[in-house]
Amino acid sequence: MSRRGRRTPWFAIALAAVGFAFITLPLVGLIQQVSWGSLVDDLRTPEAQAALRLSLVCSVWAAALAMAFGVPLAWVLARVEFRGRAVARALVLLPLVVPPVVGGVGLFYAFGRNGLIGQYLWDWFGIQLTFSTAGVVMAETFVALPFVVITVEAALRGMDRRYEEAATTLGARRSTVFRRVTVPLIAPGLVAGAALAWARALGEFGATITFAGNIQGRTQTTPLAVYLLLESKPEIAIGLSIVLLTVCVAVLAVLRDRWLGTG
Amino acid sequence: MRRTVVTGLAVVFAVFVAGLVATGCGNDSGSTPGSSASTTKASEVTGAITLSAAASLTEAFAEIGEGFQRANPEASATFNFGSSGTLATQIQQGAPADSFASADEANIDKLVTAGLIAGEPTVFARNRLVIVTKPGNPEQVTGLSDLADLGVVSLCGLEVPCGKYADQILTTAAVTIPTDRITRGQDVKTTLGAVSTGDADAAIVYVTDAESAGDSVETVTIPDAQNVIAIYPIAVIAASTNQPTTRAFIDFVTGPKAQATLRSFGFLPPD
Repeated sequence: MSRRGRRTPWFAIALAAVGFAFITLPLVGLIQQVSWGSLVDDLRTPEAQAALRLSLVCSVWAAALAMAFGVPLAWVLARVEFRGRAVARALVLLPLVVPPVVGGVGLFYAFGRNGLIGQYLWDWFGIQLTFSTAGVVMAETFVALPFVVITVEAALRGMDRRYEEAATTLGARRSTVFRRVTVPLIAPGLVAGAALAWARALGEFGATITFAGNIQGRTQTTPLAVYLLLESKPEIAIGLSIVLLTVCVAVLAVLRDRWLGTG
Repeated sequence: MRRTVVTGLAVVFAVFVAGLVATGCGNDSGSTPGSSASTTKASEVTGAITLSAAASLTEAFAEIGEGFQRANPEASATFNFGSSGTLATQIQQGAPADSFASADEANIDKLVTAGLIAGEPTVFARNRLVIVTKPGNPEQVTGLSDLADLGVVSLCGLEVPCGKYADQILTTAAVTIPTDRITRGQDVKTTLGAVSTGDADAAIVYVTDAESAGDSVETVTIPDAQNVIAIYPIAVIAASTNQPTTRAFIDFVTGPKAQATLRSFGFLPPD
């Protein structure tokens, strides 16, 4: 410690400590507010149950959809040369930095009852996506998709393509190569992408409340319930926060070797 | 490569700042030049005060704030608008507010009980609730009973005064809207927004918000027998470090000029 301390400037350590404390103190603050004795009962209340169930269903759907569209998207961005690829990639990654509320407003003007596509869905089929559980899944997929693209594309670019070439030379068909060679090689990236997408979908708030509203049992996911119950029933809000926090910590812990580097 | 990225980011940031300055966000002083100090009453009315005010007061208080500043050039008032419940919680947790204007008595009474209010709250306005629908009223809503059959009805959260009032109104009218068709807004503005810029079919909001929304919604009156009168009290926060200016603002709000402004936005007189 003392030897290392001499080489590392003290102000770097001090700033690092402040940064670390800044991230961890809110978590500590949250944890010390939990009334552990009644936690289980708080999470059994109808509001909490409805929110948790809805969150689970919607986030799993969102992660699945994000994978279904995100993996091909990552593959195209990594492997297909086309004009404007850099722009396309930037656009796909936009939900990472755009405020989710703005994303929700955009979704509304695209898929709302008067939206670009939404008006036809409504006029022709009577389908309304706003204020529906499907709307929640869409909002969550919107924010989760880039996580799949970014991780899977990195995995595709990082893999050694000679294995694929060897398999092709040995007469394997394209689909076989993909299934037996590519997928196993990028499996860690796929797992990480799916897990991050799921965690992000689980925590989605802004796009959901803007596009899908806040209907208990239909569109009120756990983060929305946390926000709205904070004043009336803080114990439930904090209990739900702890559930979300635990899930996120678990996801990061599982991914620590695969994606985030060992520490 | 690295250098181009840094340059690029610098350019983006510079354009952002330039845009802010050009659109006047960076210009937070001197926007009312030439206003004479003819009505400056006491030299005590100076400095900045922060007012936490119910979301339904947004438009009216913005105008009243300007009037107050014209009358007291040495003072300035900034507002923190939100649902009265949220604002009360913020003040209980020590948010630096000088005054609190609530859309109900319950939230201000909560602070009085907690000893966080200096003096007595003053009622300065009242408000009524209405139903709003999409322009042209496509679902042909004529009264509260029609709300039970709509796709999605937007109501304020149960902790928000307008949410409590709405529930009271629906109870009085014996109308039950299924929970899975009620979307709850964090405050009256988001509740109205679900209709004006959203796909909700109707909402229950204050008359004043319906008026502020203009043509983006259509108003359906709730009969007096079923309606609720919302009461707006304002008070000085005990922890305020600028109580003279805060008192002056409250006097201004109950004075004829601000009362006329409140009337113009559809508020009812305090009594």
